[in-house]
Amino acid sequence: MNDLVIATQGLSKSYNGKPALRGLDLEVPRGAIYGFLGRNGAGKTTTLKLLLGMLRRDAGEIWLLNAPIRSEMDSVAARRRIAFVTEEKELYPFMNVGQMIRFTRPFFPTWRPELEKKYLDVFRLPLNLSVSKLSKGMRTQLMLLLAMARGAELLIMDEPTSGLDPVATEEVLQALADLAAGGNATIFFSSHQLTEVEQICDRVCVIDDGKTVIDGVLDDLKSQYRRVVLVFDGEPPQSVASLPGVDHLRRRGRTVSLLAHTDIDGVVDRARELAPVSVEVHAVSLKELFLDHVRGE
Amino acid sequence: MLWYKAWLETRWRFTFLIGSILVVWLMLLWLPSLSSVPASRQWVGLQLGSVLLYMFAAIYLAGGGINSQTLYAVTSGFHGSMLFTLSLPVSRRRLLFVRAGLGAILTCSLVVCMAGYILFRRAEPVGALQSLADIARAVVCTMAVYALSVLLACVLDEMWQFMGACLIWFAVFLLGSRFAPVARFSPIRGMSLSSHPHSSATPWAAVITSAAVCVIFTCSSILILRRKEY
Amino acid sequence: MDLRINFTSGVPIYLQLMEQIKHAVETGAVRAGEQLPTIRKVAEELAMNPNTVARAYRELEHEGVIEVRHGSGAYVLEPGRSSKATAIRRSSDALRPAIEKAIVLGLSEPELRRVFESELSRLLDDAATARRKS
Repeated sequence: MNDLVIATQGLSKSYNGKPALRGLDLEVPRGAIYGFLGRNGAGKTTTLKLLLGMLRRDAGEIWLLNAPIRSEMDSVAARRRIAFVTEEKELYPFMNVGQMIRFTRPFFPTWRPELEKKYLDVFRLPLNLSVSKLSKGMRTQLMLLLAMARGAELLIMDEPTSGLDPVATEEVLQALADLAAGGNATIFFSSHQLTEVEQICDRVCVIDDGKTVIDGVLDDLKSQYRRVVLVFDGEPPQSVASLPGVDHLRRRGRTVSLLAHTDIDGVVDRARELAPVSVEVHAVSLKELFLDHVRGE
Repeated sequence: MLWYKAWLETRWRFTFLIGSILVVWLMLLWLPSLSSVPASRQWVGLQLGSVLLYMFAAIYLAGGGINSQTLYAVTSGFHGSMLFTLSLPVSRRRLLFVRAGLGAILTCSLVVCMAGYILFRRAEPVGALQSLADIARAVVCTMAVYALSVLLACVLDEMWQFMGACLIWFAVFLLGSRFAPVARFSPIRGMSLSSHPHSSATPWAAVITSAAVCVIFTCSSILILRRKEY
Repeated sequence: MDLRINFTSGVPIYLQLMEQIKHAVETGAVRAGEQLPTIRKVAEELAMNPNTVARAYRELEHEGVIEVRHGSGAYVLEPGRSSKATAIRRSSDALRPAIEKAIVLGLSEPELRRVFESELSRLLDDAATARRKS
């Protein structure tokens, strides 16, 4: 079986009776750059915190780096090989860049000084600058440096490019591409910046309302999913709503748009039987896939 | 490096404490009327002052650490960095141990210095062993106050922790002055050198109670922190 | 080699990359026997996923466009029987009437591009599926 760096089964969590995760199943293979997508409040940050032991799960199993996480000890052991970049990129305001590095280094025997030096140069972070004076972009860079230099096998990030300008965003993505190309790291991050996810991720998972709605290899999803657009002469017939093999359907006046991912030819043939004026088949972008699955009919 | 971080977090509180002590001491030196106060009254004043100092140090230095760094929705900076700390491969017990441990060390240092000073000023000479026992007694009883403060800091915000601790010990003090059995076990009486009729008897009840309280509250703090969600 | 990927289009990125590299070979930006940049370099320059670059290189090797030599890198191979330039000319000739017809039918430029892309990706996809089955 695949070497799964993250695996969850039936992961559930509620806050004060309100469910945030309802049985999440996740599989992240080694070496992937995995994008975890969802609307705000869909359960992304909850999932990350559950993985890292900051929250306690109500139900379900978690495996990190092929080891089950059942106690705090398991979690501590896993964290020796994992790095986390938080959403707000907060570090200790009473330390400066150099002190943060010196503070973090001793926790990780796998620390890689050559990466520390490389990213200090690439990001141009001055050692004496206090963390409280860093912009969000620079804090992101520092957190990335601390994450990558520790030689982690798994990098978990919460909205890595939020609040960053396009140049900073590109630098972050380049650093991630470089890290992944090194061959030892798997990257798992939550985001709702679809363009960044499309650029850097090879696998994605979309969650909505605490459950997975799509997951898989991104290029395969783009190969499999098609939008079939039908235009009718008058009102579209009722039977269009019950066409088999259709994941999602949208009507706009005389136009019906169908989303499907299996047996597209079959769907097209059955659609043609309804005598539309025109039938077009289009490729689907991640944005369309995302919106269709989380916005509902 | 955790100790270094704990120190960076605590140093301002500690400095404030030292500064306050210096200010009070200077003020007392300045007031000429003090030298005319009878020695016995001075002694009582010294006791009261020292007890207040121990309590204040124990309550003040226990706050502001891992316990109280809870996440707020809006604030960033100090409080949010808790997530970074928690993502490190360190158990919560160790985090508490270092942070509370440093505060404890600082508090004990203050107690030792203050108690030593008081014993130095004591009218009747007393053996070295007894003096050490007295200092140790002050430390143990202060640690009971400290342990409760740490426990409160695990569940309350900083301001509430401070006020809550003050309220609780004030209540203990009042009950102690009203009911003798309470006074026997009260750490407040245990840490003060004038808590017993003869200056050389050790109030074992208070000391043992303090030690027990210390252990119980520390274990409780660990348990609470283990289950806390961030 | 100037590579441009449209990450948000519905066309899989590895296919786009393959097309870009093939186009670079046809236009002579890279010649037979020359080495392609490493996967790592491409990934870092475009800030894209190295696994995706690796997939594109694998597929290109499968199609006989490039050859991956162990420890050395990826090299462009000599073209097949018919010369590439001829193939380009013949494809242009075949496409011209179809494009003219679409314009006569009243399609605008973006509409025409959309139709073309959707047909292209469908055909490429069918080819890939057929190859996987074989």
